[in-house]
Amino acid sequence: MKTYWDIVGDGGSNVAAQVEAQTARLRGRMAHVRRKVAVVSGKGGVGKSTVTANLAVALAMDGLRIGVLDADVNGPSMAKLLGVRGRSLKAGPDGILPPEGPMGIKVVSMDLLLPSDETPVAWHGPAQQESFIWRGMMEVNTLREFLADTAWGELDLLLADLPPGTDRIAHLTGLIPDLTGCLVVTVPSEVSHLIVKKAVSAVRDARWAPTLGLVENMGRFTCKHCGAPEEMFPGGDTRAMATAMGIPFLGSIDFDPRLAAASDRGVPFLLSHPDTPAGEALTRIARTIQAWMEAE
Amino acid sequence: MKFVCVLCDTQMKLEETTGPVEGSLSVTFACPSCAHRIALLTNPWETQLVRALDVKIGGRSSAPEPWEFVRTMLAAKREGALEGTTPSAEPSSRDFGETSASSVEPLSRDAQAEGLGAGPRCPFSAVANRAAEAASLTWDPAAEQRLERVPDFIRPMARQGIERFAAERGYTRITEEVIDEVRGTLGF
Repeated sequence: MKTYWDIVGDGGSNVAAQVEAQTARLRGRMAHVRRKVAVVSGKGGVGKSTVTANLAVALAMDGLRIGVLDADVNGPSMAKLLGVRGRSLKAGPDGILPPEGPMGIKVVSMDLLLPSDETPVAWHGPAQQESFIWRGMMEVNTLREFLADTAWGELDLLLADLPPGTDRIAHLTGLIPDLTGCLVVTVPSEVSHLIVKKAVSAVRDARWAPTLGLVENMGRFTCKHCGAPEEMFPGGDTRAMATAMGIPFLGSIDFDPRLAAASDRGVPFLLSHPDTPAGEALTRIARTIQAWMEAE
Repeated sequence: MKFVCVLCDTQMKLEETTGPVEGSLSVTFACPSCAHRIALLTNPWETQLVRALDVKIGGRSSAPEPWEFVRTMLAAKREGALEGTTPSAEPSSRDFGETSASSVEPLSRDAQAEGLGAGPRCPFSAVANRAAEAASLTWDPAAEQRLERVPDFIRPMARQGIERFAAERGYTRITEEVIDEVRGTLGF
């Protein structure tokens, strides 16, 4: 009797061709994006999204055409951080037109589709209790559509803000095989380092994409009474960690309460406070990325 | 997933997709040589996996609209979030397959010459029908009620299993005792 491999096609649905069409659509769209960088961290709460938003602004201020994909489907924050929350998406002849944030940054986030602050991402399905079986596929297909069906236009850089953990990096590289690289964000705590090291190793070992470098967020803060810089998380040496892992250390961003306040207002910190230590650090990191992009 | 007609050693072709009804999708395949037909019945979880893959059983007749998947599958959406798109409803049969009519290739000339295109098209169907007639089964109302207690997504499978069990033993009526026997033997 014939085996699976003896038979060409699936008898009518042509699922392989459907998947190939999806891939072709995605490939065609991404061909207009020069660089695709994922902002990752094994650890949650280290400020990936804030770093992503402000790096996007810094690069856009230098004249680059930037898009931001909020790849955190279940915890989307980029629309808020880049001030496009509540804006409508429009269907154009070339796909969905994304709202534009400061400096013309194009933003796509699940948050743009959700009806309220309290609404979690839920999918139509037989029972939510068993949704863990299929929701991973739902999320990957959502990201695929966000990437492939959005009229990004010509971009110099697409930044993808990923949720904590490493599994989404694999998903993203499945969707974008030519992912330019991963930017890893950590805070200088030993706990964060412990987890982020695993993410760096996972990216390296799986050869998903090159690690462009390590960014330390909330490295220090300035005492508002005496003005002296102090460490936020004593003990962790992020630069030494980067050296040990064989990846570039791109810089440290000071903690600044105004950064959190700006994020809450949906106004990127860099626009309002470019001359602060945190603002300058973000600009330096952005310039390093830009120099690397130009050298490539 | 592919299907082969064991008798003909020929790949079966998708003929029809119906549903989902109560979360179950019915996909009918037919052998292009002998026209033997089978149906693949999915339970709601299998149906959901097909949904999650974002492919259409039966194939696509047109390209998907932008963000069609997320617009269709996302349970709660902000009104007016997407301007200029077709309003998306809950997933329906449209989201699985667009095949409602037969998409199976016509029978081969040889098959037609053998008269397989008219009436029962399987060469073994006459034998099978006789066997089916001989073992035509009736269900006692009490047995039907017992079957109703089986979760709906596996009820068709349970019914088939019980009927097969009864037919193999030459029973003509399915009673509660037969169901108990099935449970004892097969662990249903």
